[in-house]
Amino acid sequence: MKVQPMDQFSAELADEVRDAVYDGSASGYDKREEALFGDYPDPDLLRRTAGNIKQHTLEHLDTYLLQAEAKMRENGVQVHWAGDGDAGCEAVLRIMRDNGATRLVKSKSMATEEIHLTEFLEKHGIESLETDLGEFIVQIDKDHPSHIVKPIIHKNRGGIARSFEREGLGAYNDQPEVITRRAREYLRRKYLEAPVGLTGGNFLVAESGRLVLVTNEGNSRFCLAATDIHIAVVGIEKLLPRDRDLSLFLGLLGRSATGQQLTVYTEFISGPKAAKQPDGPKQMHVILLDNRRTEVLGTKCREILRCIRCGACLNVCPVYRQASGHAYRSVYPGPVGAVLSPLLAGNRFPELADLPKASSLCGACNEVCPVNIPIPDLLLRLRDRAKQEGVKSPGTPPLAAWSRLASQPTLWRAVMAGGKVMNHLPLEMLPVRALKDWQSARKLPKWRGGDFRRWIKKHKEAESARGGEA
Amino acid sequence: MATCLCEAFFDDVAIATVQVLEYLKCEVAFPDGQTCCGQPAFNAGDWASSRRVVRHCLKVFAGEEPVVVPSGSCAAMIFHGALLEFEEEKDLEEVRQLAGRTWEVADFIVNGLGVDEWPGKFPASVAFHRSCHSRGTDSGPATLRLLESIEGLDLRPFGEAEQCCGFGGTFSVTFPSISAAMGKLKLEHALKENPDCLISGDMGCLLHLGGLAEKGGTPVPTRHVIQVLRDALRNGGLIS
Amino acid sequence: MSADREEILRRVKDAVGAIEHPADYPDWPDGLAVCDKRPLDDRWAAFCERLTAFHGMPLEKPEELAEYLKTFRYTHGYCDPELAGVLAPVLGPEFTLEETFERSRLDDYRFGITRARGAIAETGTLIVTDGQTSSRLGALAPWVHVACLRSDDIFRDTAEAAAALGDDPNVIWITGPSKTADVEGILIEGVHGPGVQVCLLLP
Repeated sequence: MKVQPMDQFSAELADEVRDAVYDGSASGYDKREEALFGDYPDPDLLRRTAGNIKQHTLEHLDTYLLQAEAKMRENGVQVHWAGDGDAGCEAVLRIMRDNGATRLVKSKSMATEEIHLTEFLEKHGIESLETDLGEFIVQIDKDHPSHIVKPIIHKNRGGIARSFEREGLGAYNDQPEVITRRAREYLRRKYLEAPVGLTGGNFLVAESGRLVLVTNEGNSRFCLAATDIHIAVVGIEKLLPRDRDLSLFLGLLGRSATGQQLTVYTEFISGPKAAKQPDGPKQMHVILLDNRRTEVLGTKCREILRCIRCGACLNVCPVYRQASGHAYRSVYPGPVGAVLSPLLAGNRFPELADLPKASSLCGACNEVCPVNIPIPDLLLRLRDRAKQEGVKSPGTPPLAAWSRLASQPTLWRAVMAGGKVMNHLPLEMLPVRALKDWQSARKLPKWRGGDFRRWIKKHKEAESARGGEA
Repeated sequence: MATCLCEAFFDDVAIATVQVLEYLKCEVAFPDGQTCCGQPAFNAGDWASSRRVVRHCLKVFAGEEPVVVPSGSCAAMIFHGALLEFEEEKDLEEVRQLAGRTWEVADFIVNGLGVDEWPGKFPASVAFHRSCHSRGTDSGPATLRLLESIEGLDLRPFGEAEQCCGFGGTFSVTFPSISAAMGKLKLEHALKENPDCLISGDMGCLLHLGGLAEKGGTPVPTRHVIQVLRDALRNGGLIS
Repeated sequence: MSADREEILRRVKDAVGAIEHPADYPDWPDGLAVCDKRPLDDRWAAFCERLTAFHGMPLEKPEELAEYLKTFRYTHGYCDPELAGVLAPVLGPEFTLEETFERSRLDDYRFGITRARGAIAETGTLIVTDGQTSSRLGALAPWVHVACLRSDDIFRDTAEAAAALGDDPNVIWITGPSKTADVEGILIEGVHGPGVQVCLLLP
């Protein structure tokens, strides 16, 4: 029996990795619950409101984009537009070359992961250094992040200590504190050597042109204190209408991602540094990235664009916990990735069409989502799309035949009653392969088809007999 | 609506549903032409096939009467899933009409009939697995309210209650390894406090969990919530 | 690139234009995201409670600061020129306060003293801005950051603070010391920014 690729991946996953991912995500879930339910009597009201604000913004995106662009220009920001990933990479390269810059320091950004910016820049002779501790470790290991906010959830301290030793960052020492101090010493020099600091953007406010960044480590703030030029790559779905919305979104983001009321550094940046400020960028560039977001906006899956990248759906997802982020074979893992990755894949949709199947549709992702994205509904829509586009799906039972059966009551009743024959067959002789495989881990109860119909018939007869007597 | 799982394996759950509803003075009809709710094909992405089954339900359950289902998952298929797959269909209104009167049975008892305390007794400790289709609906709170009010019933809460049991219909067939791992974790948590039985509002979960437990050599008694309600009435001498 | 602009805007217009009933902006009260709705008579006290909970250190007197810094022999640091005049005499002669931050000697500074634009009582957050901070690096690179706050500048909650972001190009809300939990989920403070976040109340 063929199983789905992700099930295979999960089955072959090292116990060490599975345990690390499981513990990391389960503790993330617990912290979120504590923070949200400890602080609010009805967190659902906040989630629904935030979801509605985002949906409104997306459905009026043309207006808000123009408003944000005008405001940013007024604030002295240079605004660039990038239709796809290549254009986004080219825009960064152009700014680097215009300024004769050959190295940049980078704060964590999913948008730049999505367009593979670092590989592109390296190919063009530009050094791009990740400064978030987790992303830095991913970079020196030539690995990929496996979680949206905890990029090295799949690694343990021993492996990290070996990587540091290999890279000349000190003799083997696996104390998390030592690892962190060594990264601190190494990276603070690098900030000072780089003329350009590159960031993503968590929110972009249309009415004020304010770019909002959140980090705990302070690396993005260091990028913006030590360098001369700030480049931000921002997906066009990151807009919020007003500054007022920020209190709601920041509170939800911190609590949902890491169980914090607020992330340690929340930066509101609306332009190059003030004139009398000695440190910080004299130029600020914002690259507004589409990369198929407009395509998604035109579908019934547009709710996924509300996502604020908190990772709560990964933490709660039982499939993510068993399979790990790398099982999703794309930049965005977990439930949000199972929707977003195939949508952003364009004509490579069939290659990732199995991701939406990797869910028991339990709905936990929707329940924790700070912007209330109906993820299970979107997974279902993508399953429908895959079926309509004729994408093959290993192991799926033949449901067309079943649906014909389920719309012919006479035949249905006969099959129900006839199923009893299974009770007398040895396991190996079961007529349906899937049933046999299913039974390898579970025992099926005895077939009792037809019994209820006999009971209700008798019951009704007795009832009418009683009715007759009365 | 008896559901195909109850029809094939769990006739006593369907019987208990009838007995409980009749105890509550409902007149219960069982439309003979009923088969399934259409969920297997819907979940597999074969919406055209699923719509065919839902249209069959529209015929079988035509009218104004409430349709009561002893399964959060099948009920949700009608009041939520069907609306999605019929979005672009001409008969969307008919689906809406059926969706508007389809109830999961505990939700129906508490919020439809206004019952909020359950008579009789059930002298046993139980672990209640909140099945996933009750998320975001009134079924979960309704069930808890009824269970908590039963004399003698000792509810044993357990860890990671928000986690799915791993059944998910065809999911358990195409993702056998992940599904089994999820189920084993659920059993581990649910059975930690040594309950006398494991209960849920969905026989899908119990089919999977019970099957895993039995295959693993530590069988655990499973009961549907509606069986617990019926048994409580029997134990209290309120029905025969 | 301007072609990209026109193309993106056209695609957005097409997508948005096809939506039958675009969602309205929802009505929601200002206080929705505020988790602590108690009336706050003493904002400084409330702020201190939260700051301490997030491992920050509130101090009411410069003498306390001197004592703390001396414990760790942190006697060399950066100080905002406008504050140096007031603080130098109180801290005493063993302290060296540099009034410009030399990036080439990044690690010489054990502490950095700058002004805070304000604070948020609800979350124990310090607010620093370009306008009030004499050096971004001075407030970030040293192990200890001392943000000097006037008690009149404490906002009640994040909603109030968000409404007062103003037109400074760089406003930063700092809630506790720099931290990470990237390695096995273990909390480590002092990653790139300060490991110790102090708030000193100005008279």
